[in-house]
Amino acid sequence: MAEPSEVDVLMGKLADGDRAAFSPLFRALWTPALRVCQRMVHAEADAADAAQAAMMKILERAGEYDKKRPALPWALGIAAWECRTLMKRQQRLKETAEEPQLSDGGATADEVEQKLLVSAAMHAMGELSAADQETLTATYWDTAASAGGATLRKRRERALTRLRDTFRRLYGID
Amino acid sequence: MESTSPRGASPPLDLQLLERRARTRYELVRAGRSLLGFAPALLLMLAAAAMGRRPSSAFFFGSLLFFSGAFLLWRGQTMHRAVLPGLLAGIIPLTFALVANQGHACAGGHCSTWCLPACITGGVVAGLAVSWFATKRGLDWRFWAGASAVSLLTGAMGCACIGYSGVIGLGAGYAAGALPWAVRRLLAR
Repeated sequence: MAEPSEVDVLMGKLADGDRAAFSPLFRALWTPALRVCQRMVHAEADAADAAQAAMMKILERAGEYDKKRPALPWALGIAAWECRTLMKRQQRLKETAEEPQLSDGGATADEVEQKLLVSAAMHAMGELSAADQETLTATYWDTAASAGGATLRKRRERALTRLRDTFRRLYGID
Repeated sequence: MESTSPRGASPPLDLQLLERRARTRYELVRAGRSLLGFAPALLLMLAAAAMGRRPSSAFFFGSLLFFSGAFLLWRGQTMHRAVLPGLLAGIIPLTFALVANQGHACAGGHCSTWCLPACITGGVVAGLAVSWFATKRGLDWRFWAGASAVSLLTGAMGCACIGYSGVIGLGAGYAAGALPWAVRRLLAR
């Protein structure tokens, strides 16, 4: 069997719980992960987003690493999967955005972008619980019948935080 | 640290922030897996509570055992290796105590439970078992400390049968069992 590489050793240590291996492993994996994402996702900003998501996934799954296998291909496999997921998500978003574009023949670029954002926000909102959806809808229409004052404020803050988190999870942006 | 500037209005990528976030996620996922991984110990706690004389003690020591075991798994490295041997060694005094609880001895009009002798004997055997394993694998004091904690807490679920004297008996027996190993370690320094 070939000598284990530096990444193999670091990943093995991290899988074992050696936190000292975290930073060197992060530095060793960032550039290859970014390169894979740049090759798969052509837009630079999207590639960077995908690489970030990939790094989060690789490192959170470090405990699953099998020391008998080389670490780099394993990690880059996860990165490639993340890029693929991002591309699919963008494709879906594009498809959703195409519909209003067709009906609004004379819309300006800003209007199209705004519609795109609203559509993305609605998609993110659809992922929230019924209670959160209700709170946000009541906030929007200013009709919070069941609660008022501090209770509503807290509920609204929590719902908005969850909406933001969902938006970030779905689209990788704030 | 390196940072990249993606095109457009996106802010420059803060790799330190990303690393911190990844580290938090790593710890959280690891903690979740540790809790899940040590969940079978809860079955042992339920069995000890069902078969023992003092279910409340079994729940108390069982909860401590669960969180200690999960903590050791989460920490990893040598400590993570201590969990299974410690648990297996601890099952010895636990079994002894649960079996001893089923009967008692009477002599000269005075009856007493077998709990204390069973806990001391179980403790000695558990101490010897953990020390033997640590010597065999060449593991350090962290392994020994972790395995001892898990082992004693496992045994204590049954050894609280006559109150804390049973648990103290278990601890004393364990210390006696582990003494030769501790002396050898000290002399080896």
